[in-house]
Amino acid sequence: MGVLDYIWLGILSVFQGPELFSLFGLPVSVTLVMILCGFLLGIAVGATPGLAGPIAMAIALPILISVFGYHQDALLPVMGFLIGIMKGATIGGAVPAILFNTPGTPDAYMTTLDGYPMTQKGQAKKALRVAHFSSASGDTFSDIVLIVCAPFLALLVEAYLDLPEKTALLILSLSFISAVIGGSPAKGLISAGLGLLAVYIGTGEDFYPRLSLGTSQLSQGFPIATAVLGVLIIGSVFKGLEELWHEKRQSGQISVIKDKGDQRLRFAEIRRLFPFIARSAVIGTAIGALPGIGSTLAATLGYTVGKGRYQRLKAEDDPEFGTGVPEGIAATEAANSSVSGANLIPVLSLGIPGNAAAVFLILAAESIGGFNPGPSVFRFTADTVNPELVVAFGLFTAMFIANGLNWTIGGVFMRSMGVMIRIPKHILLPIVLLLTLTAIYVQETRMAAIWFALAFGVLGYFMRALAISPLPFVIAFILGGKLEESARQAFAATGGDAFFLFTSPVALVFMLMSVGVVVFTAIRSKGSEQSS
Amino acid sequence: MNRILKAGVAALGLAIISTGALAADWAPPGPIKMMIAFRAGGGADTQARLIAEALEAQMGWKFIPEQVTGKGGVNLLATMKDQPNDGTVIGIVVTESVGYNLAAANAGITPADFIGISTTAGFQMGIVSLSSKGWTTFADVVAAAKGGQEIRFGVMSPKLADLAYLLGKAQGVDFNIVSVKGGKAVMNGVNAGDLDIGFMAGIQAKGVAAGDLVNLASGLSTPLNQTPDAPTLADLGVSFNSDGYFVFVGPAGIPADARDALAQAIAGVVSDETTKAGGIIKKAFGGSATITGDALTTLMANDYSDAGALMDAAGE
Repeated sequence: MGVLDYIWLGILSVFQGPELFSLFGLPVSVTLVMILCGFLLGIAVGATPGLAGPIAMAIALPILISVFGYHQDALLPVMGFLIGIMKGATIGGAVPAILFNTPGTPDAYMTTLDGYPMTQKGQAKKALRVAHFSSASGDTFSDIVLIVCAPFLALLVEAYLDLPEKTALLILSLSFISAVIGGSPAKGLISAGLGLLAVYIGTGEDFYPRLSLGTSQLSQGFPIATAVLGVLIIGSVFKGLEELWHEKRQSGQISVIKDKGDQRLRFAEIRRLFPFIARSAVIGTAIGALPGIGSTLAATLGYTVGKGRYQRLKAEDDPEFGTGVPEGIAATEAANSSVSGANLIPVLSLGIPGNAAAVFLILAAESIGGFNPGPSVFRFTADTVNPELVVAFGLFTAMFIANGLNWTIGGVFMRSMGVMIRIPKHILLPIVLLLTLTAIYVQETRMAAIWFALAFGVLGYFMRALAISPLPFVIAFILGGKLEESARQAFAATGGDAFFLFTSPVALVFMLMSVGVVVFTAIRSKGSEQSS
Repeated sequence: MNRILKAGVAALGLAIISTGALAADWAPPGPIKMMIAFRAGGGADTQARLIAEALEAQMGWKFIPEQVTGKGGVNLLATMKDQPNDGTVIGIVVTESVGYNLAAANAGITPADFIGISTTAGFQMGIVSLSSKGWTTFADVVAAAKGGQEIRFGVMSPKLADLAYLLGKAQGVDFNIVSVKGGKAVMNGVNAGDLDIGFMAGIQAKGVAAGDLVNLASGLSTPLNQTPDAPTLADLGVSFNSDGYFVFVGPAGIPADARDALAQAIAGVVSDETTKAGGIIKKAFGGSATITGDALTTLMANDYSDAGALMDAAGE
């Protein structure tokens, strides 16, 4: 069995799987249909503000398993469906971000910065085209890297990063995000600090539920959906309702934005966007390959790098980033979409998820059985067939099929979403609120979760009112648990060395960079204030 | 003799039929809330949900699964304590939750606040390393540690941390004991090289069969099914063990007929390998283990009272 034999077997396992129905005498495998269904559901879910891929995957997984059962034939249809949702949701997530300024997923937050201003200028369809093109390009690049590098890259990364280095890397991510988002490092640090405070309530290793004030509701901590969806989505709904109220008082009516100007994406524009897409795709892919760091950091980095390049190269009278330039959308969408493929590198070769979507792929593999993500997957056996490797190549094939759907159906679907701008905001915002609360209740099934989400919504509203970015809060909330865990583990693993963050050169460099990025940004923003 | 035997069999049969009839008479007065102490989507959570699904199909009862996670099952027990005790609230934890964890949490609740319904499966707890480390038995690890190598020992609960500490003490070495969340995290750490050895409760079965992982020792009072030659903790000089089960419990005071009916139904589902729940248990734990009634009550009480001795020993 050579490498090519395995690739061929993997492709066949998708196309020749159990037959669902036949079309003009050609059998159509159930896996293909499942990828398509997952992809369409993914776009719909991603385009619905308040829903996101992981929620859809979480709801779909138990249903799929009870339909397909626990034998190996179920692996590719179920995981194909989940991969479809993952890819569809990433591309769909840009739709509400661009049209309604409400990111469906945290990683689409940066898309709102230039996407929504374009909508306000009457360029909604064009913004969607830019998002789709960048997203699909980044996705394709990432898939290619996954297939070429999966066996080697993750093993290398894992070999050089031990527990103290991983802890230092998490600290670096948090400090970077606090420093660069929103322009003010102080506000960023406040936002991240609040996120850490929230996630440390009721959690931890001790049996005593810390910071819970003796209440049973707080002793379980805040569910992640309530904090993330509350601050990001409910907060922006509250802010939107307030703006709507002001607008109505001033003008007496609610404005409807009409499309203006050329909505097409010209080849010359693609050429101009391409360097931004390429850089972001590389950034997103590199970040996706690191275990534990998700697409939100990739989107942020892609946007920041794109912004730097744009400011160096732009003509004097070109508009700034954040006022509706297509480059901003391209840089963000290419980065967050290129995470999904590369994210499977640590999943498949080490069994360690890099983001929430990857968690559900691992859960599917574990629940069904017959596929153990880990180093044993990439063992090219010469004499016997390694069935896990066949499944791995089957998954790669599924990713490419989803990618093909992305280029074709994805574009059509996104463009058709342009009509949703005609839905008046005073009808849409309550619907978004209802969907978000429903999604939270579906996940948590207790009333306390709704109250938490509303409270986080109020927090998100005030953060927006005070021009504090909610994103460091959300990322700190997501990474906080991991940070505490890996710090405790690194401390224990080094035999109780209190200076574990400073003894290894790699960790020391990460720590110096964490301090450096905050100081550097603070000095620079102070300098730009004085000069202005 | 023969007659006595016959009478005995008849009496036994009658007893079974009568409890069966009694149990069959019981029906829950409403939907049953099933609290789950494990993270949604994991192996233990899937097991619980599949049991609920099978019971809905077989008995026609209605279940509402609900996650109450955290603090090694203590959060679930604290929530369950004040719930109705008519059989409409049950929860799945591990025996360690009712034993060591309740004792350590010192939260004013004891096993007497709960009633054991049925266990579903026992752990196959082994101390595991990658086979590429070159260790074949626990003595090799001890030799490496004595040779100056730092050994990182992954554990997933405070009780296991105590056991790892006592094991090092008995063997005259110091382990760097690293607590992680759940057995899957121990396996990830061992696979990624962040941990050298670790406790795994059955999840290692496939890796051991494939030759990637090796069971260096049994964490149980008995040898492991898969690696019967590996020494037990007692062989290695530790007088405690990590014997444990997944167990369904309810608030104290559930009527006997309700408890029996629930226990019978659950035990029936998990020991039938043709059901999805039974199948998954067979796959992960090599088969079901159903302890019910007084035997389970004793088991839970002993686990709790032994906890103090273990903590004292580890605290020395």
